[in-house]
Amino acid sequence: MQYIIVGGSAAAISAVESIRSLDRDSRIDLFSDEETPLFSRVLLPYYVAEELSKPLLNFRPADFFETNRVTPHLGVKVTSLNGATKTVKTSDGNTYTFDKLLLATGGRAIVPPIPGVDKEGISTLKTMADAEKIYHMQGKRAVVIGAGSIGVEACISLTRRGIKATLLEQLGQVMPTVFDAEAAQIVRKRIEDLGIEVFTGEKALKFTGDKRVTGVVTDNREIPCDMVVLSVGVRPQTELAVQAGLTLGDMKGIRVDETMQTSTADIYAAGDVAETHDIARNTWFLNAIWPCAFEQGHFAGLNMAGQKTLYPGSYRRNSIGNFIGIPAISMGVTHAESCAMTSDEDEFREIRVRTKDAYKKLVLRNGRVIGAILVGQTQKAGLMSILLRKQVNVADSIPMLMSDRLNFMDLLPILRRNADQFSEPEYKELMDTGL
Amino acid sequence: MKVLMVDKEKCTGCHQCELWCGTEIASTSRELARAINEAPQPVPRVYVEGQKFALQCRHCENAPCLDACPNGTMRRDPETGLVYVNEPTCIACWMCVMVCPFGIINPSSSMKVAIKCDRCRSMGYPICAEVCPTGALSIVERKDYRKKKF
Ligand SMILES: Cc1cc2nc3c(=O)[nH]c(=O)nc-3n(C[C@H](O)[C@H](O)[C@H](O)COP(=O)(O)OP(=O)(O)OC[C@H]3O[C@@H](n4cnc5c(N)ncnc54)[C@H](O)[C@@H]3O)c2cc1C
Ligand code: SF4
Ligand code: SF4
Repeated sequence: MQYIIVGGSAAAISAVESIRSLDRDSRIDLFSDEETPLFSRVLLPYYVAEELSKPLLNFRPADFFETNRVTPHLGVKVTSLNGATKTVKTSDGNTYTFDKLLLATGGRAIVPPIPGVDKEGISTLKTMADAEKIYHMQGKRAVVIGAGSIGVEACISLTRRGIKATLLEQLGQVMPTVFDAEAAQIVRKRIEDLGIEVFTGEKALKFTGDKRVTGVVTDNREIPCDMVVLSVGVRPQTELAVQAGLTLGDMKGIRVDETMQTSTADIYAAGDVAETHDIARNTWFLNAIWPCAFEQGHFAGLNMAGQKTLYPGSYRRNSIGNFIGIPAISMGVTHAESCAMTSDEDEFREIRVRTKDAYKKLVLRNGRVIGAILVGQTQKAGLMSILLRKQVNVADSIPMLMSDRLNFMDLLPILRRNADQFSEPEYKELMDTGL
Repeated sequence: MKVLMVDKEKCTGCHQCELWCGTEIASTSRELARAINEAPQPVPRVYVEGQKFALQCRHCENAPCLDACPNGTMRRDPETGLVYVNEPTCIACWMCVMVCPFGIINPSSSMKVAIKCDRCRSMGYPICAEVCPTGALSIVERKDYRKKKF
């Protein structure tokens, strides 16, 4: 068996680990057009903040390829893919054949078509090269465009370096795909307390300056600056998929089935590039987050190595970590309205509890958790995550789930009622105790 | 792999395991009288939940925390199967907290690390099981629940 992996990040490495758990001997060739291998993109803001040096960005040891007997081709781009002849061509002029191929090509940062966007001092934050560019930018004032997770983290990282940062978001709140208005308000206050200026509902219209950027013009003002970070989202890198005629989804990601296989046999896709069934939304979706990339790589790898294992589906999960001083976690959908494919029979509910320092919200569809937001008190967030993943009915347990004393043992009756869905040994053995 | 089991008939909810874990494992002074005054406060890795049941990391077979951790800080010991936090590299992103189905990872904002039970992997035997006055905690081989296909 000859495996080819395109990409060298979360989904790719996780697939390698799964392939190797079943197949010690076959040849694996891995191609990555980024030269630095094994670094975690999630840590790039920490690099920009000068909190982590390059070696500390790795998520696997430097000898990973050696110990897993992978032949890495770093700095080499796969330039074409032919599903019929099962071959790829690469930027170093070679052709390789494969039995099974994984597209783990991730996403590319969107560069919005704003006049002047090609000036010096403007960068996205996606690759190691981007992070280095931002790290080396000179100046005292920065504007970050787009207040998603990456934008917020970039802003805080620059602030920690002593740079005065302004966060600009065209929608009405910060982190619009992650939090509802109430949670966003708490988060925004924290960001402002760090000395960051936040403008929401305001659009960047153009960049001023000759060669170098000197300001951002919005619908309300001009903000002088020495550098700009663009964080308005990522788009799946599907050139190879398009070339090979693979089916794309409505969101322009590569459609995969439950085994992570694309519309062409023996070609798989995983990670930010893959459009999977979203459990919370009950439709196809791109969930471009690290945990999904890793899980999907895991399932792709097992199936590629011949062990049929069905992916239960994806759902969004975000944690803002220590960046703003209080923990805040969000998963699934933030509002009932954000659910596609709702039928008239679907019944939605939102339950909220707000105290001085904490906020908790659950979104339910037909008694099943499809979204959760936890700010302040987050240790039990994973309980919501497992209930969301398993889609079990919790309609009669709402007060318990909303209680700030919720603990795992409270869930045991729910687990018991749905014992067939909690078949993993870690649940079974607790149910076996007779509790 | 081996797992820690709790005998619910024997667990009286006395919190001894929590106390000892907090002192012997989590505190710097390793003395109860001093540990209670330590700042940041020592965080025990075992939670006596639902009145009387000592719950720690279950070292899940397919551990979601391992998939969520963005920099390989959460690891599995290949020999024992135990899942542990490599504390020096933890960036306190709480992605593991977000997915742990048992809610047993403590996001310690004061210590800036994810704190959870590693079943005392460096000591060989878990302190909670050792100190439990009723012998409610024991180490047993994990049962194979998968249906056998013949
Ligand atoms: C700054 C930043 C912060 C983030 N923070 C978080 C966070 O806190 N939490 C979270 O869950 N997620 C976060 N993410 C998202 C997370 O990093 C991604 O979901 C994850 O990296 C996706 O992994 P992947 O393997 O699918 O693709 P990617 O990480 O995008 O990697 C794909 C790789 O494939 C290479 N490639 C593409 N095409 C080719 C080709 N033709 N030939 C060879 N190589 C190719 C690319 O160059 C790239 O190296 C963050 C992302 C960024 C940029
Ligand atoms: S920390 Fe939680 S998710 Fe990870 S192995 Fe332990 S119980 Fe499972
Ligand atoms: S908090 Fe630490 S252990 Fe948990 S996911 Fe983040 S880096 Fe990994």
